[in-house]
Amino acid sequence: MSPIADSRAQVLGRIRAAMRNSAASAEQAGEAHAELHRGYVRQGAMTAKARQERFVERLREYDAEVVECGPEEVAATIAAQVRASGRQRFVAPEGLPVEWFAEGFDWKIDHGLAASEVEQCEGVVTACFCGVAESGTIVLHHSATEGRRVITLLPDWHLCVVRASQIVETLPEYFARCAKRDQRTENRDQGAERLPELVTWISGPSATADIEMTRIKGVHGPRFLNVILVKDCDRS
Amino acid sequence: MSAAGQGTVVEHPAVEHPVLDPALAAPFPKAALPVLRNPQLRKNVAHAIDVIQAKRARLVEEKPDWQALRAAAAAIKDEALGNLGGYLEQFEERCTAAGGQVHWAADAAEARRIILEILREEKADEVIKIKTMTSAEIQLNPHLEAAGVRTYETDLAEIILQLGEGEPSHIVVPALHVNRSQVREIFARKMGIPDLPDEPKELTAAARNYLRQKFLSVPTAISGANFLIAETGAVVIVESEGNGRMCLTLPRTMITLAGIEKVLPRFADLEVMLQLLARSATGERMSPYTSMWTGVTPGDGPQKFHVVLLDNGRSGILGRKTERQTLRCIRCAACMNTCPVYRQTGGHAYGSVYPGPIGAILTPQLEQLRHAQSLPFASSLCGACYEVCPVKINIPEILIDLRAQVTDQERKTAGKFFDPMYVGLRAANVIFSRGWLFHLAQWKGRIVLKFFTRKDGWIHSLPSVGAKWTQTRDLRGLPRQTFHEWWRSRQQGSEGAREPVSESASRRVGDPGRDEEAG
Repeated sequence: MSPIADSRAQVLGRIRAAMRNSAASAEQAGEAHAELHRGYVRQGAMTAKARQERFVERLREYDAEVVECGPEEVAATIAAQVRASGRQRFVAPEGLPVEWFAEGFDWKIDHGLAASEVEQCEGVVTACFCGVAESGTIVLHHSATEGRRVITLLPDWHLCVVRASQIVETLPEYFARCAKRDQRTENRDQGAERLPELVTWISGPSATADIEMTRIKGVHGPRFLNVILVKDCDRS
Repeated sequence: MSAAGQGTVVEHPAVEHPVLDPALAAPFPKAALPVLRNPQLRKNVAHAIDVIQAKRARLVEEKPDWQALRAAAAAIKDEALGNLGGYLEQFEERCTAAGGQVHWAADAAEARRIILEILREEKADEVIKIKTMTSAEIQLNPHLEAAGVRTYETDLAEIILQLGEGEPSHIVVPALHVNRSQVREIFARKMGIPDLPDEPKELTAAARNYLRQKFLSVPTAISGANFLIAETGAVVIVESEGNGRMCLTLPRTMITLAGIEKVLPRFADLEVMLQLLARSATGERMSPYTSMWTGVTPGDGPQKFHVVLLDNGRSGILGRKTERQTLRCIRCAACMNTCPVYRQTGGHAYGSVYPGPIGAILTPQLEQLRHAQSLPFASSLCGACYEVCPVKINIPEILIDLRAQVTDQERKTAGKFFDPMYVGLRAANVIFSRGWLFHLAQWKGRIVLKFFTRKDGWIHSLPSVGAKWTQTRDLRGLPRQTFHEWWRSRQQGSEGAREPVSESASRRVGDPGRDEEAG
């Protein structure tokens, strides 16, 4: 028995001794957990339009730039944004739609670039998994259209395309979406893959208030967060 | 260059180097003195917490379901703690299945040893770090430095402290006691930029440049954790600057040190915790970056991942039902921001990396009351901390309970047996349990205290032990008449006998317990 294994037994033993009656496994505890009272707002009550407006308002509050466009204008809007950024070298995730690559710029597609190569890029364009209106949050699950974590980290400028249909009002609604997806995958392949494994919740550009509580934009992550909101569902 | 950049270097009165080891720190009242005598430091602290509190208050107000979120968070944490063993095993199993390696550390020394062993295996002589109070708790940095591993803190506040050789005074904004000109001085000296201006923007940019190459070249990182998810084996880190994302994305090897109480049963529990944490901690709806990862993801991020689960006194807190609430803490620091005591003393007085009200209950318990016994008394019990706590830790209740434990422990020690306070309390115990003794004591007390009672009915100074009270407070003189005496005379009065105090007595009937000092 190694000392490390001993520590495991020791820590678990102390916990069980402290709790006495509770030798429950996580599975057994599941029921009690399911019955916990949850009186908070889980489902928002906003119209789709109000939700989008709230999302944009909150993003701007955290210094993100937002432009809106119709479903057919995505490529053109990306091109305009990329041009307006004054940058030349961009990195893109593997699965980025081909029409999103604006012409006249250097695009590096991330098939596993080294960090130093990503570092050379001045900007990045990605899609996202979800937008949360209440907190102005963009959620990345790092799928093929969202890219590996490093590509949305090192470049100084991040352009993210969010479809209106991806926007939920509250954070619990995002988690409900994950659970729904979870059930689907479970039915499909006997519970192999489940809840997201990699998630980055982004709420505005990197910031700090460590010096005299003065909010400074851009410490290590991208200093600029630009969002294109695609109005793909205008039913209210 | 800004005007401030060319000015002379402002010399600040050096504060005695604070000791944040509960075993070595001075008792709170003594440790608080250097800060109380340093107006600059107090100003820095007050400014910072005023800003955070105003932001927090605004955001909490816009959440109509704030109380429901708090209640749910407390319930989730209680459920996690109630089955902690099961959830930890589940976390271990899922994390391992996802390619992570889980280690268990019974105490600080063991955690340090495990981490050092991993670093040796990696042949690492440098390591980048995300801010983690847990690593400060186990004093990891000095230990690693002594073993020849250079540590680079990457959170701006932690860089300020590391380069300035300072100690954290807050768990969310550890350098809030340092102002911009002090930061400028530290950065200019340590980064070799003599003409650095003192604008926060420039200072932040200096830190960015200072660290950029480190992020890209150091292959090993150490982090703490905000949450561990039992259901999936994932780890969650909440941060603002992006230094966290750098550390958990770029290196080859990642080591996460997490207290065992950080585990949450399910992924969806984050829907409650993430709504509470940033609002309480920094007054933001969400922190700029929240990251979650699960073991190792091929092709993305560190390909070796270790989690060190740290007990270090936590399991001992589980056994007592009242105190168990302490382990619900999500380290948001709302309690210290609102605390009238912290506001005056700052964080260093608490002699631990966990200051403020949460530190006042957590530190003594982690130390099993062998140290930090003065901390439960470092509170006015006003209850503000309980009111703001996002996981509803009843801190005042625990403070009172710990005070009782400290007193119980203390009065049994030989040295304290003849302590005037305990002698007095034992005497009081005897006196209060016998009516005739009580009356005798009242009578005697009145005679003795009369010499110290001024005309206004107050005692302003007492000799010997009594001075401990009167140094900072006045004491009401004893009334001329006790309640019993008054009652007796009142009965006599109603029977139609003598009635010398009838007028005043009838006035006081509604409130007989009130002191009388008229005359």
